[in-house]
Order: sequence, then structure tokens, then C-alpha cells
Amino acid sequence: MKQTKTKKLILTAILTAAALVAFTIEAAIPPLTPIYGIKLGIANVFTLFTLYAVGKPYAAAVLFLRITLGSIFTGQLVSFIYSLTGGVLSFLLMLLLRRFFPVKQLWVLSALCAVMHNAGQLAAAMLMTSTVQLIYYLPVLIVSGIIAGVFTGLCAQLVLLRMNTEKLILGG
Amino acid sequence: MKNRIWIIIFSVTVLVCTAVWIGLSFFPSPSKIVGIYQNGSLVEKVDLTAQTGERSIELNGDYGKNIISVTHGRIEMKSADCPDKLCVKHGELKSAGSPIVCLPNRIVIKFENQSGSADAEAGALL
Ligand SMILES: [Zn+2]
Repeated sequence: MKQTKTKKLILTAILTAAALVAFTIEAAIPPLTPIYGIKLGIANVFTLFTLYAVGKPYAAAVLFLRITLGSIFTGQLVSFIYSLTGGVLSFLLMLLLRRFFPVKQLWVLSALCAVMHNAGQLAAAMLMTSTVQLIYYLPVLIVSGIIAGVFTGLCAQLVLLRMNTEKLILGG
Repeated sequence: MKNRIWIIIFSVTVLVCTAVWIGLSFFPSPSKIVGIYQNGSLVEKVDLTAQTGERSIELNGDYGKNIISVTHGRIEMKSADCPDKLCVKHGELKSAGSPIVCLPNRIVIKFENQSGSADAEAGALL
């Protein structure tokens, strides 16, 4: 099955909408811990899915549209700058490492990127508040990044394998 | 790399980080001098042992007012207008490893080193 550009754009739009829904729902749930940056990041399932099933630029679109629109919709403008810093850094790592990880190891890539995301957010927070002591939160953010990243990665991975999407959409 | 190797790498990392985190969070601070910072600069230093009765400190930020409560040996964010209220949920400041942070209003409450000066200088450099 050949994938036309139009089809890819439509897929990207649908995936962006789905990611936004997931982000909005997650934002409505009260945080489990009084620590910034500990969350599951369900929306990332859609970014990962897009990266593997559609392509790199499309995944970038899903991610950055979701961060921008999501921050506006949920009114979380405070966290926008942190989300964006974390998002950019983790996406760069994702692009860099994508070719080393087949779908079956997507969970590894996802975990690495989630850790990068949390570290990036923490760095942004340290700069914004000029507080070096926030580094104390690095260990707990690494742990939460690995757990959340493995979970979201497995979600995307299982869907991709079930659909055999890599073959189906990318044409082998 | 095989899945098994990654499972080992992640497990070890999780264990080490959890241990470090627990160590930092439950090790009570030897110092009872607390620094209150906003926008990275020191607003006030409070000696918790010297405090008698209750005292409130008000700070205003971009997202409204935060009220810090100080009693003998204890400091906490009593109320805040920030959207997430994570600073209030943090509760009492217990260890150097988990400062009270209000990101929206850019407030940090943390234990100072006994000397205190080295920290202040590091803060000023940023
Ligand atoms: Zn707050």
C-alpha cells in the first residue's frame, strides 16, 4: 500500500487530535506526587507511533502542535516553557537514536527519551528559578522517566506490532 | 543491544536512583537555617530553632500570593495562589534533598549549609 502525502497529512492530523485529547485528560487528573514533572505522558504514545508509522517530520508536527495547543487548552502556560524544553531535547534524541531501535525495541528508545525529557525540564526549571538545588530532584525524575517511558513505549510498540504498521504504511 | 541488557541497565538505574532519592529525602538536614528564594535571589534567611510562636511570610509572584508559615523547628507553604498548588502539597520542609518549590511563582524554600555563604555565592553567580 503506497502512502501518499495527503494520506500522511490526514494521519498526522488525526494523531495530533488524539494526542491532544490524551494530554488534556491527563492534565485534568490531579498529580500523584508533589513533585514537578512526574507524569505518565500518555500523549507521547502518539508521537512515538507517528515516528515509526508515518515519519520524522510528521512526528515533529504531532509533538509541537500538541505541546503548543495543549498548553493553551489546559491553560498551563507556566509549564509551556518546561514542556517545550523537555520536548525539543527528547525529540532530538529520538531522531538521533531512531535508526538503532526497531519497533521491537521501541520501549527502550521511549524510556531513554523520557529520561531526556525530564532532565531537560529540570534544567529549564533550574535556569528559570536560578536554583541549583533543584538538581536534587534528578534521581526521582530519572526513575519516573524510565517507568513512564517504558509504559508509553510499550503501548506504541504493541499497537505497531499488532497492526504490522511498519510494513503496511511504510510499504515494507 | 538485546532487550535483556536494556532491562538490566534500566533496573540498575532505577534501583540506584531510588536509593539516592530515599537517602536525600529522609536524611534530616543538620542545619536548621532555611533560605527563602524568589527568582533565584535570597529573600530571607530564617533560623527555625530561634522561632517562637507562628509567623507568616507573604510573597507575591506572577500567579498571586504565597503564604509561608514558620513555627518553632518547622516551615511550610501554608497557602498559594499558584495553579498547581504543588508547593502546598509538599508539606513541611524536612530535608535538604527535597526543597519546597513553587515553579509558577518561582519560589524555593530550602535548608542552607551551616556556613551558608558558599550557597549564597553560588546563587549570586547564576
Ligand atoms: Zn505553588
